[in-house]
Amino acid sequence: MSGINLSRDVLTMILAGGQGQRLYPLTKHRSKPAVPFGGIYRIIDFTLSNCINSKLFRIFLLTQYKSYSLEKHINLGWSYLFRSELSEFIYTVPPQQRLADNWYTGTADAIFQNIYLLEMIRPKYLLILSGDHIYKMNYARLLDFHVDTGSDLTIACQRVPLNEARKFGVMSIDGDKRVISFKEKPQNPDPLPDDSSSCLCNMGIYVFNTDFLVKTLGRDAKAESAHDFGKNIIPSVIPTARVRAYEFLDENRKNVQYWRDIGTLDSYYETSMDLVGVDPLFNLYDYDWPIRTFQRQLPPAKTVFGSGNYPEIPERSGIVMDSVISGGVIISGARVENSILSPRVRVNSYAYVKDSIIMNDCIIGRNAVVRNAIIDKEVIIPEGHKIGLDLENDRKFFTVTDNGIVIIPKKSPFLKEMK
Amino acid sequence: MDEKKKKLLIADDEENILILYKLEFEEEGYEVLTAPSALEALKLIDSEKPDLLIMDICMPEMDGIEALGKILSKNNKLPVILNSAYSSYKDNFMSWCANAYVVKSSDLTELKETVTRVLKEAGRN
Repeated sequence: MSGINLSRDVLTMILAGGQGQRLYPLTKHRSKPAVPFGGIYRIIDFTLSNCINSKLFRIFLLTQYKSYSLEKHINLGWSYLFRSELSEFIYTVPPQQRLADNWYTGTADAIFQNIYLLEMIRPKYLLILSGDHIYKMNYARLLDFHVDTGSDLTIACQRVPLNEARKFGVMSIDGDKRVISFKEKPQNPDPLPDDSSSCLCNMGIYVFNTDFLVKTLGRDAKAESAHDFGKNIIPSVIPTARVRAYEFLDENRKNVQYWRDIGTLDSYYETSMDLVGVDPLFNLYDYDWPIRTFQRQLPPAKTVFGSGNYPEIPERSGIVMDSVISGGVIISGARVENSILSPRVRVNSYAYVKDSIIMNDCIIGRNAVVRNAIIDKEVIIPEGHKIGLDLENDRKFFTVTDNGIVIIPKKSPFLKEMK
Repeated sequence: MDEKKKKLLIADDEENILILYKLEFEEEGYEVLTAPSALEALKLIDSEKPDLLIMDICMPEMDGIEALGKILSKNNKLPVILNSAYSSYKDNFMSWCANAYVVKSSDLTELKETVTRVLKEAGRN
């Protein structure tokens, strides 16, 4: 093993400033890492859980747009896990404008503008992560690999089918795992020598030797550059530095590797729906790799009406099937199928919720129908109202995705004429 | 020789240094501008577009390290030589982003050679 001391030698910086424009209106009031996911989580929880499970306890979260919701979540749910007496910390850092008068222009610029944090901590190694992804990964293995191979920069990568590789940074490596070429979003990606149907793609996870990084960033700051790791930094250092690729080892332990970048509303919906299957692709119930979040103390979820009326199930029965149900939810004489319900959702009598994601504190009124919808927090669907049945009508008031998913923003009021 | 003179900007809070450097570098054939503070230097960079900046680190108000950050973040191509009486700032991450770091000495040979080299590297020679 590398002999690396994770608590002394490593600092983690998480790029958590993503505006998430393509997730609008879920990002109307929050940045992408703070978007709720899977009933009780937020997207950032997966990366942070990976950190904790990898025993990494020195973390800066570099925030930017609409950071209030994210900061609140970190303060309530994560800060107390870090002990300052042991030099552990998790801090959210908005742009300080110490150097520039503008916001971050690229991923590398975000690190460069926070060079004083590196100066303060002086870690041997810097782990750079993105706060936007859903996956399980042990970063300690990546750091071991980095130190064992004596690299200046290690890039975590995964195998991606050729036809999907165009949206990634694609690299080719030699037998020593050394990266010999790197192309950002190439038109014709190079396949792997041992597998012509796929190629190696950048996951946006980097380990740098700190001194190497600082010198590289200094050079980049003087160059004509977008100050981006994928576009500028990596291609510029490959010819002269020791850059290696570390292949993603999935802690999710399923047949297929699981890593998702939730880029669009449709991919948000599909990734969420990964959770409700009988044997979900992404396993939240693995207690060897727990996913943490912030949760309030809430009463248990509950369904009512129906007892004593079996075997024929009367129309007014509280029934839930193939769904994820959070604390404080009440299904009162309603039917819920293939859906994700966040804490304190209430579904009233004769209502029918199917193939939908309902976030905290929503109320689905009596006789209402909700299908193929994402309903953000604190929305009241009026009695008898129908969502997702007449997309032409829904489109007049709400975002409807290419795949026909209706998105209702947080606290949307419902008016009579919307019927 | 019709070639336009290279323009050097010297930023230092010690007046004697400014006088000395101005004399010495003018003798070398450079046009020399001086600034008694980092803030003044930042203004002159915008208005005078010098070819190279020689900057002290320990100065009142804004120090040379902070000023270097401001210059870099504007994606300024201006080459910068840090010139301090102390070598201890060589460890500072930000100072690594300068083109060179020369410790002050009564003998200006090293500084002059560094100016020539940095201008050449930056393609301004």
